[in-house]
Order: sequence, then C-alpha cells, then structure tokens
Amino acid sequence: MTEEVSKVDKVVEIPMTVEIPVGPQHPAVHEPILIKVYAEGEYVVKAEAYTGYNHRGIEKLAEKKTFYQDIFLCGRVCGICNAVHADCYVRALEHILNKEPPPRAKYLRTLVMELERLHSHMLILAVTAEIVGFDTLFMHMMRDRELIMKAKEIVTGNRVLADYIMVGGVRRDLNSEKMDKLKKILTKVEPRIRYYWRVFEEDVTLNKRLVEVGRLTPAQVTSHGLLGPVARASGVATDSRYHDAYDAYAEVPFRIVTRKEGDCMARSLVRFEEMQVSLEICRYILNHLPEGEAVPDERRLPRRFPEGEAFTTVEAPRGELTYYVMSKGGVNPYRVKIRTPSYNNIINTVPFYVGHMVADVPAILASYDPCISCMERVTVIDLRRGTRKKVSVRDLARGEA
Amino acid sequence: MAKIPLLKEVVKLIFSKPATIQYPREETPVEPDARGRQYADLSKCVGCSLCMIECPPKAIRMEKIPEGYEVPKRNARKIYPVVDYFKCIYCYRCVTVCPTKAYVVTNEYRLASDAPVNSRELSLSTLKKASQEPSQGEGVSKQ
Amino acid sequence: MSSDPLEIPDVLKPIENLLKGVTVMKPGRVVALLEPGDVVKAYVALKARYGETGLYFSTLVATDLKDEGKIRIDYYINVLEKNQYVVLRTYVPRDDPRIESLLKEAPAALPGECEAYDLLGVVFEGNPHLRRAFFVPEEVAEKDIFPLRKDAGV
Ligand code: SF4
Ligand code: SF4
Repeated sequence: MTEEVSKVDKVVEIPMTVEIPVGPQHPAVHEPILIKVYAEGEYVVKAEAYTGYNHRGIEKLAEKKTFYQDIFLCGRVCGICNAVHADCYVRALEHILNKEPPPRAKYLRTLVMELERLHSHMLILAVTAEIVGFDTLFMHMMRDRELIMKAKEIVTGNRVLADYIMVGGVRRDLNSEKMDKLKKILTKVEPRIRYYWRVFEEDVTLNKRLVEVGRLTPAQVTSHGLLGPVARASGVATDSRYHDAYDAYAEVPFRIVTRKEGDCMARSLVRFEEMQVSLEICRYILNHLPEGEAVPDERRLPRRFPEGEAFTTVEAPRGELTYYVMSKGGVNPYRVKIRTPSYNNIINTVPFYVGHMVADVPAILASYDPCISCMERVTVIDLRRGTRKKVSVRDLARGEA
Repeated sequence: MAKIPLLKEVVKLIFSKPATIQYPREETPVEPDARGRQYADLSKCVGCSLCMIECPPKAIRMEKIPEGYEVPKRNARKIYPVVDYFKCIYCYRCVTVCPTKAYVVTNEYRLASDAPVNSRELSLSTLKKASQEPSQGEGVSKQ
Repeated sequence: MSSDPLEIPDVLKPIENLLKGVTVMKPGRVVALLEPGDVVKAYVALKARYGETGLYFSTLVATDLKDEGKIRIDYYINVLEKNQYVVLRTYVPRDDPRIESLLKEAPAALPGECEAYDLLGVVFEGNPHLRRAFFVPEEVAEKDIFPLRKDAGV
C-alpha cells in the first residue's frame, strides 16, 4: 500500500485531476459514507474515505450500562446483523462467567444467525443489482427476502431486531408448529435463490459490470485484513465458523465457500453459494434440534460478574466480527471493543479504487458490502442525533469544498 | 440465454397480484407472539422497580398509583411502571426479569401517533376502581 | 501480570526470544507479552514464518488502565495456518503513549491505529494518516479530549 500511496500522491499534483465526492448520502448503498475519488478522465487516481457520519459512541456507552443492558445495545450496533453482534458479546460474557449454554440453545442461536446471513446476503446482492442498473432484480430479491424476515419473526418475535440471545441460552424456544412453518419457508426460498443465482451468472448486464472489476489478490486480502466473502472470493479461506467452531458449528456440517477470481462477480457468487450453505445448515438444525432446555430464567442469572476478559469472534454475514470484553468485577464492563468486518473491509480497501473507472466505484463499494453503522460506533456524545447531524453537514461542506 | 427465464418470470408476474401489502387498508400479518406492546398487570406487580432498573433505554418510569384504585397490599409503595412506547425498543427485558411475571404481552405493533403513548391507561385498567367497600379491597389483595 | 511459567506454545516459537511472558485469554487465545519496541519485530517474525497469506491482522484493542497509569495495546493476529489467535500485548505509559506503527508491515492496522489515536491518544509513530476527528466529532477533538480514557468525563 505504501507504494501505491506515494505513486498516487504525485498524480494528485496534476491540476487536471477532478475531485468527485461519492456520497455521503447515497454513494451506492443507502449508507452514509463519503468516498472522495480523484479522477483523471474516467479513471480514479486517488481515493479517500471520510467517515464519521454515523457515530454513536457505543463503546463508551457500553462501559456505562450493565452487562445485560449491553446485550441489547450490541444488538443495535447494526440492524442487519444484530443477532451475530449479540451472540458474540454474549459468548464473551459466558466465557467470563464460565458458563456453557445447553446444546439446544446453541443450535437455535446458529439457526438465527444463519437466517440473518441469508437475508443480509440477499439484501446486498439485491443492492448490487440495483447499482449496476438492474432495478427489477432488486425489487424481486427484496420481495423474496421478506420470506426470510418472516422466518426470523417466527423464531425470535421480531423481523429485524432479534434480541434473541441471552447469557446461558436463548430467549424463546421453537415448537413443532413453528418448525413446520420454517421448513415451508425454506422450501419456498430455495428455488428463488437458485433462480437469482442463475440470473447473476448469466445476465449480460451484470456480467459486464461485475466481472473483472475490483479484483483483489490473496496477498492484498491478508495484508489489509479483509474478511468474509471479500476474502473468500479471493481464495483466502477465512471463516470464523471454522476457526472458532462456536455455538453449534462444531457439530453442524458446513463448508467454506471460496473462489479464485477475486472480482466483484466472484464476491457476489460466493454470497450466493453461502446462502445455499446457510439453507442447508438451517435445514440440518430443524431436523436435528437436540431436546432439552434452551431458555434460561433471566431472573436467576448472576448480576455481578467476576474479573476476566474474553475475545470472541463470530462470522457475521460481512465477515469476522470480534468482541473484546474486559470485566473488572461488578455490574458494568470495563472495556468493550467491537471490531466489525465492515470496519476493515471499507477503510482498508480505499486504495484499491485506484485505477478503476469512476462509474465502477459504487459497484465495487457495494461488493464489499459496507455497513456504516457497523463501522462507526465509537463517539461519545450522548445527544446522538444532534451530533450526527452536525458532523454530516460540516463534512459535507468539506467534501464539496 | 438468460432472456428466456427472465421473460417467463415477467409474464408470470404481470398476472399475479402485487406483493406489496396495502397498509392500512390491509392488515400486515404478524405472528401471534411477535414482540409488540406490553404493559404491567397491576394486580400482579409488586412495585419492585426491577424492570425500570433493567430496561436498556430507560423507557420505564415508576409512578405513584393515583388515588381511587384498589392497590394490592403486596405493592406497599403503591408504585407502578409506566412504559414510554416511543422510547421502548421492545426487547422484552422487562417481561423476563419481572419477579412476578406481571407483564401482559401483545403483538400490537401499530403504535405510531402524534401524542406520546405510554402504558398508563392499559396498566391502570387492570386494577379495580376503589368505589366499593374497603373490605372488598382487602379481598383482592389477599389473592 | 507476571510472566507465566506456562510452556511456550508452538505458534509463538518464531518470536520466542522477544517474549516477556505468555498467558492465555479465553477462549484459547495465546497472549504474548512484549516490550512496546518489539511489537513490530514480532509481527515481522510471525509473518516471515507463516507467510503473507498465512496470517492476517485482525483487531487492535487499546484499553486505558487508569489505575496503573498505563495504556494497554493488544494486537490480535489470526494465524490461519495454525488456526489460532495470537495476541501481542504491550503496555505504554499513559502520560506519553507512543509506539511504533505497524502500518508498514500490516496495512490492516490502519483503522485500528487511527481509532486508538482518536479515542485514546496513542501516537503510532510512522503512521501518516493519524488525525483527530477521524471518528469523534470536531467539537470533542478540538478540546483535546480522548473520549475512551476513563477520566474523559463524557
Ligand atoms: S421492552 Fe425493553 S425497552 Fe421496552 S420497556 Fe421493556 S425493557 Fe424497556
Ligand atoms: S419488575 Fe414486575 S413487579 Fe417489579 S415493578 Fe416491574 S412490573 Fe412490577
């Protein structure tokens, strides 16, 4: 990267360079990030990311709330992958407490997280289609994504925010009626996913816009710490589900999906194949759910925590999510550090825009699957909304100046 | 080659009905146990304030039960939780920590309104008005 | 934390001579205690042993230990080949937190270092991208407050 940066710095001196702010309001996905690209003709010569539009100070807030309140706070770091956040945090707490959830709870957690992966992947693939100008496909995929949201509602009680995972287990159990409903939904979704998969593989527009665009080599992936489908599309087999074998992943059969190409298309196809794997996992869980208790009595959980620390990882839809929780005893955590996959994937990939067409920037950004609320959770101000506004207006001005 | 399956899809969709739910003319289907509006049943609540303490966004306030209601004896301080539904994130932590399982849960999701909405009336409606003889009031509290 | 009599795990063999101690963090992460000056060396040694695609830099966690007058910096590295997380842990003084930047060796450290600078004031020498208000709003940055320090008063 250092090489690239120095090369690029020289180019910027050329007065012919045009500065184009991409975003922050609608760069590609509906997320607030500003990527300033400097273009020479049609080609990007330099790119900078401006962040800070969505800072909420979650890490500081987490230090002030109790361990249990933080479960719900962590779930709200990101709307799309809320169950994985909660799971990661709760597992850290369980390690501090030396507690092990019952097997049925582990399976149920896995089920919810896989449903989440399904709908998250469908969302970003739909958005990818929208960005390259295929709005109809976007609509269709979003329609079928609703089925998965319904499945999530059946399991957790809410279509978006699961609030499902609790220290020592989960917060709701499944009965056979619900399981039948879920199985029906999975049967309905599967052919749809296969169909969209084929559309992505065969459609001319999508192929023209995605193949050979935004290619990343395996070395770039590891040196820049890229994660999740982005890494796997470049042939780096990183998957926390395998590395950590948390929850039921030690028992549920699954495979790590990788591809060699490393371009935007490969990232999309990796996501499709992962959805297939997720469907298989969900089915396996529904057919092999162990008997027993899954729901702990929340009134009997310990309020005070012993001293300790834990570092947990979880394979979120966007890549490896890590939580570090440190307890100095008492009812509040001493330090909670959240490192989300988008944080690495977006900031670290900024240099890779160089050399691409300006029009490809949104497509590449979308293929990294950015989730800005995941990235920025670290400010301090309590008046969250007020501050956010201020920041965005100011930075907007700076971006366009 | 990709045109054929897409065409078939298009034709199929022209003749199917729209996927969008025409809310509010049509009800959005929700699960019977979806997490919706919840309120405390004051005949069970003992006013321990645990739900207020545990609520992550601090959406619950403890208020004095107004005059004219028969308050169960167990609720010695005569206070009850009022949930501000605009602040509430429907995590149901209050429901699960309550030692007397006092919360009534519903799947009511239509809570948008101009005026602030809270659980005051719903909760108070679970108590009897104390217009009758005081002896009956004691009868309630013994249950 | 004293240096543990714990046996040096396999995965840390390449940096054996730099170790000041080894502990284990739940669940099963190997923690290598190092001098602040040795972190980059250790990373280079690990990279030389496991190859460029054999490991990646995952997370940087800086923690303010106010009572001890130190800031602890943890580097989490996932060694893919061994399927094991390694934590390089070091302490810098709280009143003058400085440490060599890992950016040259691991570009992945960029957001972590920027964040640690912005929120805790740890200076990573040799990182040209450090700037205040990378994450925090400018009002806070201007007042020279590092929000994640325990005495920041926010
Ligand atoms: S559901 Fe959650 S947010 Fe709402 S009142 Fe209960 S504890 Fe508070
Ligand atoms: S926790 Fe239950 S009993 Fe206690 S105040 Fe709340 S509703 Fe009443």
